[in-house]
Amino acid sequence: MSTFRRAQSQAHPNKTSTLMLAIVVLLILNVTIQIWLLYTGLNNALEHNKGIAFPAFIGSFTILIINCGLLYYLPRRRR
Amino acid sequence: MPNNKEKDPDWKNDFPINQSEVTEVTRRQFAKFLCLVSGGLATGSAFVAAKAAFFPGKKVQGLHRVCSINELPVGGTRAFVLEGSSTPYVLIHLENGEFKAYEQKCTHLSCAVFYKPGSGKIECPCHNGWFDAMTGEVLQGPPPRPLPRLDVQVTGNDIFVTAAKEEA
Ligand code: FES
Repeated sequence: MSTFRRAQSQAHPNKTSTLMLAIVVLLILNVTIQIWLLYTGLNNALEHNKGIAFPAFIGSFTILIINCGLLYYLPRRRR
Repeated sequence: MPNNKEKDPDWKNDFPINQSEVTEVTRRQFAKFLCLVSGGLATGSAFVAAKAAFFPGKKVQGLHRVCSINELPVGGTRAFVLEGSSTPYVLIHLENGEFKAYEQKCTHLSCAVFYKPGSGKIECPCHNGWFDAMTGEVLQGPPPRPLPRLDVQVTGNDIFVTAAKEEA
């Protein structure tokens, strides 16, 4: 079975390097969104507006899944 | 012992540490670390959601007498605490004759707030935050949430407070 992996491993190091950078940037963006979600959830769960805490958790969890999925696309170590 | 100079000390053989291995972080490691942080944040959100869903804060129970009407002139305020709790509250006699009770704790960083007589506003001196004395809403400044409110009931000559009805 041929996957993206073989092509990826044969690609020029410049390409994999760009890919690596893109993935890291995406991860940083996602983590930033999660920090914002946690802050929002905390802020509103403290007093009244309890309704936001659960959606914030769902969002945060979804982003975690996406982040772990992104790890799969990290280029292999070059040897 | 000058002839020993080149030879590594024994501990280096016992604990072989490669300088570049321990000080340099690869992008791959960094990406994995970001995922770990992401997991931590998701867990944090889970705790917040669980706390909000299963351990709601204690509500003020029943009626509490604060003082009698003639102890509180128009524009005056009176700080009080309810027995069994240490949360400071403030009772305000507004210029229009209404009584209002709020938590005397700024929602920003918990400084004590004060009613500014004649203005209809509650002031937080710490970072110049202002609340509407009628509703507790934030008028300006850094506080993120309105002041928590207590309902006031006047019965005869006495002023009572009770938990505010939750508005949707
Ligand atoms: S503590 Fe009240 S404005 Fe900052």
